[in-house]
Amino acid sequence: MKTKVGSNLERVLAAGHFAVTAEVGPPRGPNPEAVLKKVKAVKGIADAYNVTDNQTAVVRMSSIAASRLLLESGLEPVMQMVCRDRNRIAMQSDLLGAWALGLRNCLCLSGDHQVAGAGGKLKGHPGAKNVYDVDSVQLLSILRGLRDEARQEGGDAIDCPAPFFIGAAWTPLGPPEKFRAVRLGKKVAAGADFVQTQAVFDIPRFTEAMRRVVDMGLTERVAILPGIILPRSAGMLRYMNASVPGVRVPEALIQRMSSASDPKEEGFKIAVELIHAVRQIPGVKGVHLQAIEAEHLLPQLAERAGLLPRP
Amino acid sequence: MHVPTRGMKIVVLYCQHCVTYGKESPIAPREHDGVVVQTVMMPCSSKVQASEVLKLLAAGADGVEIVACSDESCRLLVGSRMAEKRLQYAQRLLNEVHVPKERLGFSWKSGVGPEELEAIGLRRASAVEASTVEAPGGGEKT
Amino acid sequence: MIFSEWKPLDEIVRQLDGRKKVLLVGCATCVAECAAGGEREVETLAPLLSLAFREKGQPIEIVTCTLEKQCEWEFVEELSGKATGVDALLSLACGIGVQALAERFPELPTYPGVNTSALTIREEAGIWASRCAACGDCVLGETFGYCPMARCAKSLMNGPCGGTRENGKCEINETLDCVWNLIVERAELRGELESLGRVRGPKSWSNSRHGGPKRVIREDLRA
Repeated sequence: MKTKVGSNLERVLAAGHFAVTAEVGPPRGPNPEAVLKKVKAVKGIADAYNVTDNQTAVVRMSSIAASRLLLESGLEPVMQMVCRDRNRIAMQSDLLGAWALGLRNCLCLSGDHQVAGAGGKLKGHPGAKNVYDVDSVQLLSILRGLRDEARQEGGDAIDCPAPFFIGAAWTPLGPPEKFRAVRLGKKVAAGADFVQTQAVFDIPRFTEAMRRVVDMGLTERVAILPGIILPRSAGMLRYMNASVPGVRVPEALIQRMSSASDPKEEGFKIAVELIHAVRQIPGVKGVHLQAIEAEHLLPQLAERAGLLPRP
Repeated sequence: MHVPTRGMKIVVLYCQHCVTYGKESPIAPREHDGVVVQTVMMPCSSKVQASEVLKLLAAGADGVEIVACSDESCRLLVGSRMAEKRLQYAQRLLNEVHVPKERLGFSWKSGVGPEELEAIGLRRASAVEASTVEAPGGGEKT
Repeated sequence: MIFSEWKPLDEIVRQLDGRKKVLLVGCATCVAECAAGGEREVETLAPLLSLAFREKGQPIEIVTCTLEKQCEWEFVEELSGKATGVDALLSLACGIGVQALAERFPELPTYPGVNTSALTIREEAGIWASRCAACGDCVLGETFGYCPMARCAKSLMNGPCGGTRENGKCEINETLDCVWNLIVERAELRGELESLGRVRGPKSWSNSRHGGPKRVIREDLRA
């Protein structure tokens, strides 16, 4: 893969290294110190760091602003943009601004609907008018237009290209399962350079899903990074298996967590095994590490999985 | 606010199939202890609408009771069940406008005679009386 | 049909506070089909409001009339004799009907008794579900007869998202089928799955209310 954008993530992948990305959630407030605290916790463990965009429809510091703070601290951000809150005008405007601020990676998502958001614990904004002017596949092609044609979606030119390394999300499991590979193909056709998946726990089924996309020739055009979430308890795994669409947790893993004398330690063991396992699957070019509101544990995970030091 | 006194009027709407006596002979309103129970025969309980029972209340009835065939013996199979649902709907509406839902009632019966219908009416009257609360300033007597 | 539901009764009562004689107007078309504003609902709400106001110690007279359609002037005209002595109108029609009454009787306040929220089909007795979003650019020919604008919470044209549940239901409402799952299933049934592999570009919303309020003039139909 030749580099078009020059971001660190792109360079690491182009050089053939097994890439590592990690996720950082912005604070539910305006305090930049909160972002810097997370930066300190995860510095050096990944090639780029995803900064979520009002995840679960909960208002947090914007992804672009928090990404800029990361950049200023020496981390490479992957900004995220969802389709729920902005129309194509605001999206393109924000992308031009993000590029001007030095951001070079962008993950495009449709975004959680605000009715179901906030996980039931916060009030959120269920009464907000949502946008969904374009969907995530269309957003990918918008980014590609800004990069490769220096053109806005409506046809007007921009004064110079805004090249982003373009990311998409993929939920390989989840009905209609066979179509998930086809949909990934659409995202690649629309412009995706890299893909981060929903958390993987079921290696055999994920292997099967990867086989399909390899057969379609997609892995030569896009770098796939399966998502790995650090399990903290059997309850967490049970909850994810039952309530998070697209996440399948084999019973064996839940059993291991519930019968472990030290579940936190068992969680690390499982995550490390998952990382080793996905690394063997043809077409997998890296991993995307997540520890929900526990980013400080990621360095230990990265170390134990043999992912450090980063190139 | 509804203030019940002597002269309470209860309407009992009964399905023709749950009574033992001849349907052709209407039953005259009966008074007992100041409560007038008027019984009205329906060709089928399933015909009852929420609007009907609410209109009876708005027109001056203190309480309305629907008497319908038990679930197993309803000739329309689900007729009496639907009637109960509508009655419960009407009760929810009353609740929403802060009128005691006890002003409406539902009884599953089969093979009843006129005395039992009257007894059902009197029980409804007691329930209505028990549900009303004295409020300062009183209100209109219906 | 245009789908409406009764406003909370407290809200209706509050709107009518202080009124002495109210003309409650129903409509025998859409709102009758969704059991919100037809004659039966009018005849249910009228005594209920009488009871409610009596309970408050403020007697009110409710007179009723159900028009064939509240969005047709010829039917609205039927109210002209009925509005004498009335100090407010309460309409159970959709917003179109409420405004038609308000326009015909500008001297009287017209209050809405329902909230209008969707364009639906009646799936079976007692169940109504969204089918049309009035997007102005119908794509049903490409989506195997299922509308993603009305039936996908995110209006995806390149769905499904990652939120399809194991049982094929939508993440945000488990009583709803994931419409993209339905579309894919039907495409497979017809042997046309490849057609869904094409990327569909951004939609133009300009023919919907996003393009501004509509006023459409058909010269061929004008007197």
